[in-house]
Amino acid sequence: MNNNYKATVNQEFEFTISQEELSQLDAVQTTTGYHILHNNTSFKAEIDASNFAQKTYQVQINNNIYNVTIADKIDLLIKDMGFSIGTTKQLNALTAPMPGLILDVQVVAGQEVKEGDTLVILSAMKMENSFVSHMDGTIKAVHVVKDDAVDKGQLLVEFEETN
Amino acid sequence: MDIKKILVANRGEIAIRVMTTAKRMGIKTVAIYSTVDRNAPHVRYADEAVCVGEAPSNQSYLLGDKIIAFAKELNVDAIHPGYGFLSENAAFAKAVTESNIIFIGPEPKAIEVMGSKLAAKEAVKAYDIPMVPGIDEAITDVDKAKAIANDIGFPILIKASAGGGGKGMRVVNEEAELASQMKLAISEATAAFGDGSVFIEKYVSSPRHIEIQVMADNYGTVLHLFERECSIQRRHQKVVEEAPSSVLTPALREAMGNAAVQVAKACNYRGAGTVEFLLDDQHNFYFLEMNTRLQVEHPVTELITGVDLVELQIRVARGEVLPILQEDLKIQGHALELRVYAEDPLNDFLPSVGHLSTYTLPEGDGIRVDNGFEEGMDIPIYYDPMLSKLIVYGKTREEAIEMLSKAIDDYKIEGVQTTLPFGKFVCEHEAFRSGNFDTHFVKNYYSPEALKKRFEEEARIAALIAVKQHIQEQRILRLPTT
Amino acid sequence: MDSKIKTLNEKIELAHLGGGKHRIEKQHQKKKLTARERVHYLLDDGSFEEIGILVTHRTTDFGMEKEIYYGDGVVTGYGTVNGRLIYLFAQDFTVFGGALSETHAEKICKIMDLAMKVGAPLIGLNDSGGARIQEGVRSLGGYADIFYRNVQASGVIPQISAIMGPCAGGAVYSPAMTDFTMMVEDTSYMFVTGPNVVKTVTNEEVTSEELGGASTHSAKSGVAHITSANDAQCLEDLKSLLSYLPQNNTETPKKLPFTLQDEVREQLATIIPDSANKPYDMHEVITGIIDDDSFYEVHKDYAENIIVGFARLGGRSIGIVANQPMFLAGVLDVNSSKKAARFTRFCDCFNIPLLVLVDVPGFLPGTDQEWNGIIVHGAKLLYALSEATVPRVTVITRKAYGGAYDVMNSKHIGADLNYAWPSAEIAVMGAKGASEIIFRKEIKAADDPAQKLLEKENEYAAKFANPYRAAQRGFIDEVILPEDTRRKLIKAFSMLENKEATLPKKKHGNIPL
Repeated sequence: MNNNYKATVNQEFEFTISQEELSQLDAVQTTTGYHILHNNTSFKAEIDASNFAQKTYQVQINNNIYNVTIADKIDLLIKDMGFSIGTTKQLNALTAPMPGLILDVQVVAGQEVKEGDTLVILSAMKMENSFVSHMDGTIKAVHVVKDDAVDKGQLLVEFEETN
Repeated sequence: MDIKKILVANRGEIAIRVMTTAKRMGIKTVAIYSTVDRNAPHVRYADEAVCVGEAPSNQSYLLGDKIIAFAKELNVDAIHPGYGFLSENAAFAKAVTESNIIFIGPEPKAIEVMGSKLAAKEAVKAYDIPMVPGIDEAITDVDKAKAIANDIGFPILIKASAGGGGKGMRVVNEEAELASQMKLAISEATAAFGDGSVFIEKYVSSPRHIEIQVMADNYGTVLHLFERECSIQRRHQKVVEEAPSSVLTPALREAMGNAAVQVAKACNYRGAGTVEFLLDDQHNFYFLEMNTRLQVEHPVTELITGVDLVELQIRVARGEVLPILQEDLKIQGHALELRVYAEDPLNDFLPSVGHLSTYTLPEGDGIRVDNGFEEGMDIPIYYDPMLSKLIVYGKTREEAIEMLSKAIDDYKIEGVQTTLPFGKFVCEHEAFRSGNFDTHFVKNYYSPEALKKRFEEEARIAALIAVKQHIQEQRILRLPTT
Repeated sequence: MDSKIKTLNEKIELAHLGGGKHRIEKQHQKKKLTARERVHYLLDDGSFEEIGILVTHRTTDFGMEKEIYYGDGVVTGYGTVNGRLIYLFAQDFTVFGGALSETHAEKICKIMDLAMKVGAPLIGLNDSGGARIQEGVRSLGGYADIFYRNVQASGVIPQISAIMGPCAGGAVYSPAMTDFTMMVEDTSYMFVTGPNVVKTVTNEEVTSEELGGASTHSAKSGVAHITSANDAQCLEDLKSLLSYLPQNNTETPKKLPFTLQDEVREQLATIIPDSANKPYDMHEVITGIIDDDSFYEVHKDYAENIIVGFARLGGRSIGIVANQPMFLAGVLDVNSSKKAARFTRFCDCFNIPLLVLVDVPGFLPGTDQEWNGIIVHGAKLLYALSEATVPRVTVITRKAYGGAYDVMNSKHIGADLNYAWPSAEIAVMGAKGASEIIFRKEIKAADDPAQKLLEKENEYAAKFANPYRAAQRGFIDEVILPEDTRRKLIKAFSMLENKEATLPKKKHGNIPL
């Protein structure tokens, strides 16, 4: 039976952890955590927080904090079967990558845009960031106006579905 | 004239930095703040504080008249503008002086001259200071810009006439890009400084950014406090600074120091100022501009000279004679500064604002952290995203680099991405360690992948440890809770 | 000894494979998890203890003796959900399509008996084609053994059924007698007789999904209390539901740790529109009152003119019954009365305090309602609330007209505390209707009857369209500011925590069914 785990770290990295790799891990327990030798390099690890039921762990490696979410066989199966729990995802959309103020909106609903056209200019920390279209397409809706303050992840512009 | 109470027209670490010296000198301090900064450390640090308006800086920290009115109401003797905001606003300096309050900085006239890069060039012309080829007038017209650019030859640099801090600055490699880049530069300059005029100069390749700290009193004495090397930049903004520079010979240092003193004299300078130069790969230096304020990176100079620049600023403002002579000043040891910005080095240094859920600073001998934030604070979107400055002081450059590297490790920040990993990258990079680098360091050597690889390795170990822990916990016998 | 251990391990491995790899794959292709996967997903990691893993059937007819599977198509045992003990059975569709045999039923009965003796919730994960036809009447007997136990356990331990595949024929009556029936969209259906029989008997052409899919039962019949998008979501929803319930009828639900602050909720002050005829969403009122993100709505798509569900108030689990002015003006009708009555009785069974939010214009008039017995069904809600002995608190947000005022947890039928917002109108009927009756002659005689009606309407409204007449009589204990509602309710339920009330000694009441 396949007893691999998948671990997602800081929602950024994904690793498949096999039993074999675990058994090869050179980690010795210290008073505060673990000392690890990996490719002869020394790392110190501490477990700051753990939630066994949720399978989430906060681990400090050399003072950097990593949030690890572990997925076991059934979690992976559920993912493979395409079961989503809770949220839905929007692909044909531009969302704000950071909070800021909308300085200018350069498109309107129904407008056709080419890849690289500027859609929205957002100012954060006094820097202007232009967001350009990542594709050719038609704007379905614009959800912000000039001078709006937006949060990270807020929907700015939606594109029509394309095939 | 005596100064019993100083209002610091600024926020964050620099407000605290100025107040620290003021307090040591027995001077009362007044902070100003916007509504989102009520809980900021600088407000609590001051003896008195007034709210000057809403979060956007043009409704608070930039409201000169309002700030002056509060200063009068609170019987403030002097205003220290810090850097940024109103620090290089001649009209503000003038209004302060006219309200019979001491402006801790140069005469408005000097600010005005040096504030316009073109006027500055004009002023220093007589002193035989080397300058980068370019035009002598501010423009907003794209066609005119094209003609000039073709004349001096690409690549060229567009700079905001009123600028600083890289805002409104754009490099243009070919004519086709000129129109769009210029438009952006003008719009950024307008937003940041309220003045959209820009000028154009030849773009020096492989330049190092070296600046000289100067200090002048009201009696004609102008000192230079040696150089700062500020070539490690991203988006034309400095991230790592050091003093002294690893490339200046004593002769070059003296030549640049004297040139800087001349520039200061050219505008009858008073107080602390910085003369910026470009140094090309042949070690020719060109006058860039003069910053008529205390710089962000002033601590490295303080550490190698043992001088408190803010103290000198205040004493000059009080009308005292500078208490030191040029020959008294010696370079001792080596200082490095890393600006810790809330930015994501993996994502093009985009601002990463959020909530500082963990925020612990390094401590130790030779470590100085000028800080404006606390654990649990949100980072407002309205201002510069600098959290703190990590400054280290060692006997040698090598020792300082090691100290910086260690101190970076000792920072604990959660909730936002920071330039700390980038600082680590710089510390470990051969080009930086050998001293052989220029302002293109980031472009030439840095890639997010290099950082990411390192994170990935640690992340992998974190994942392994987590799974190991999980498997261990699985073995524990658990009973239903009652 | 080694070989003996080997034998055991082999048996367990076989049992874990259920109907075999091929059938497991088929199950996955149908977007369904297997019984064991469901059990592991639902329960805390490592907490499952299986009971009867080596049970097999005893049938020898039709060559069944050659088809033996360990566990006989159902996984049974106990484990924990968020640390709390539960008993469960999960039918294994990979073994004989989950068909129920005598031994299969015995396994289920065994853990039902344990659950009853210990006093812990019983969860059934249903995924079965029906009776095991090869066994004939023995299989039917098995069903009845389960039904009987469902009824014995009713009101003693919470029973929850999740329908995660087919559930047809007699099998439907076990879920129907449990407290909650959950269904998974697209992969589950329930009916007494399937589409083929329907066609033969009534000539109706209908698909399984139309006849008894999740959407049918959640919106039309009300058989399903909760619908979930997929297997995993269904199990998450089940866990969530359990968190509001006690282990059995002698306990109160576990209170979650909660640090109280000032608990003023300004947003409640602006929900009620200026015009009495404008609808608003009662969900906003609920959200404004309860702990953040704590509302667990039951029967979401059925009889939407009333809202029922669980929530937390300062960490305490409560049940909410609320009129919904967004649908049919929040009127009481046959379905909404049944929905609210059933929920009320569940809460009363398991010591979950009740909060009733009132904005009701009355009962829905019309032949449809009368002929469908609104009299009897409306009486159910009146009965259920009158009978409930748990702490009961009412907040009238706007209308409380006529008989519906009495029904909606009024002081007169035993509510402990009755609050009203300043916007409340507690009256026999709306101002217009009342004026038309009271001043009929006067209006008729007037030069401008419309003007007169308006005048009288205003006069009546000024007098009665407010909470103060009721407050004078003590029918309302206090008229409160909307923003203080959460504060008041947290205190009220805390004050009522040790409430003891008993009904007269009887075998059981005779609720109008």
